[in-house]
Amino acid sequence: MSTNKRITLQQAAEIVKNGSSLTFSGFTIWRRPFAVVYELIRQKRRGLHLIEVNGGPQTEFLVGAGCVDIWESCWVGHELYGKYGANLSRKVGKKEILVEDYSHAEMMFRFAAAAQGAPYAVTQTSLGTDIHNPEYDVLGRAGRRDGKRIAKQKYIFTEDPFFGAGPQVLVPAVKIDVAILCVQQVGEEGTVRVAGQLYSDPEAARAADITIAMAEEIVPEEYLRRDADHNTIPSFEVDYILECPFGGHPTGMFGCYDVDGAFLKDFYAGTRTQEGFNAFAEEWIYGLDHMGYLEKLGWPRMLNLRANTALNYRPRN
Amino acid sequence: MSKYASPEEYGLADLLCCAASREVQDNEIVFAGTGLPMVAIMLAQKTHAPNLKLIFEAGTLDGRPPELPTSVGDARCETGASRSSGLYDAFSIAQRGYVDLGYLGGAEIDQYGNVNTTCIGNYLEPELRLTGSGGNPDINSFARRTVFIMVHEKRRFVEHVSYITSPGWRVKKWPGGEWVHRRELYGAAFRGGPSAVISTAGVFRFDENDGHMYLDTCHPGKTPAEIKELCQFDLDVSRVKGETAPPTTDELHFIHDVLDPSQIFIPKVKKA
Repeated sequence: MSTNKRITLQQAAEIVKNGSSLTFSGFTIWRRPFAVVYELIRQKRRGLHLIEVNGGPQTEFLVGAGCVDIWESCWVGHELYGKYGANLSRKVGKKEILVEDYSHAEMMFRFAAAAQGAPYAVTQTSLGTDIHNPEYDVLGRAGRRDGKRIAKQKYIFTEDPFFGAGPQVLVPAVKIDVAILCVQQVGEEGTVRVAGQLYSDPEAARAADITIAMAEEIVPEEYLRRDADHNTIPSFEVDYILECPFGGHPTGMFGCYDVDGAFLKDFYAGTRTQEGFNAFAEEWIYGLDHMGYLEKLGWPRMLNLRANTALNYRPRN
Repeated sequence: MSKYASPEEYGLADLLCCAASREVQDNEIVFAGTGLPMVAIMLAQKTHAPNLKLIFEAGTLDGRPPELPTSVGDARCETGASRSSGLYDAFSIAQRGYVDLGYLGGAEIDQYGNVNTTCIGNYLEPELRLTGSGGNPDINSFARRTVFIMVHEKRRFVEHVSYITSPGWRVKKWPGGEWVHRRELYGAAFRGGPSAVISTAGVFRFDENDGHMYLDTCHPGKTPAEIKELCQFDLDVSRVKGETAPPTTDELHFIHDVLDPSQIFIPKVKKA
């Protein structure tokens, strides 16, 4: 079969245009496509609309680098390596970014609606909270609700018309231009096999107009097709593939490598200010390519993160 | 039950962890977040609730991790699980009504159990933007009971939180914003709400009819008057049952020798 889905890291980043809406695989500090995130920063992408089920270090890097105009999600931080998103917080304070808050389940159901081609989802979560406060419709206040990428309304409050179950909330489907996944294996035709928790990857891949799968390894398609019930995403939902070992670093990947907590702690501690961020980016992003980045990390550091293949993580003792 | 530890044998984090752990009953389905809640729930699994089912938001269902995960997305969460899946399943299961208990945290809480994890100050021009909601409101909307674990400072136990991230017993009905009882707003989806707040000062519960928080037990060494002084709202201290039970020696053994020997979440008390 053809292998024409293969692209390079540079090409992957070029698919994301200025102003694109973008999402990622993973969960907080796990399986984030960092190699592409770094490349987007090197290419000075601007005006991105990040729509994430949950944020994490990738959000913080892109926001710190000034790539993001709108962040629509529910959470950002570095788990125990950094308790909140200091770059996002700084830019919110300076009004350099628009933040639209939904709850975690609302974000997930919005992706699920998009993945099933539905215009909205219905849920009972978060009733009575300020997440539903009409005064706090940030994109509405900014006049950004065009009814195309950004829904005409943030919420619609309604009642169950079928069974009389009471109050319900309608939340709009997400509109994603590009989803970038960071996974263990992808076949030459695009079949993805995720090991470990799937997070919200299947819905993100299906919802996006363009899906890029960056894998620890590209494997023969027939190898994956021998056990199709182990696969996560069908070939035709994936438009482009690339192989990029350790491409998720400093986030972790089940069965491959653990989170580089020391790296995230350094990032969190060092990037409270814009000057701090710029210095960190100068050291770790600009002027390096992926191989240069890995070389700078060095083998001993990476071997210390490598997962035990029986346990799927690196045991502490 | 083994004997209670003496005051010099445990720290505040141990006390909180054990108090949280005792909120679980055997066979319950529990949603646990990152940090101390994770240790508490795994402690319950090792002691009085061996058949509890643990759900991690990132997608593992009924997991039995032998080594403490550092977050709910951690590869360690999957070990021994009945099923590994994703967030869509985890939240669907929760909305469907399977979850008995959730453990949560927050930066601010009010007398009705409304919790803020989003921002300090006016939301549109915040003094400080925090992490955001995460699954806090979702677990709190769907579970029968939720337990909040919080640092007790007067600036955190407030009359009104800066932003209601997670719904308590009396909440705002949008689009108008009138205060209503949670039962009225959730309709058929009403299953309960915050059942306990375990702070660094005491354990608090809620009158489910009027929605108010009251002091249930004081941590050893604290008085109801001191704790009342640590709240900006008028805390009901008329129902205090006594002192929070200290950790047992067995519980301390599980926390420090089995669950968290590397002291990732629970520091060890240095023996004099």
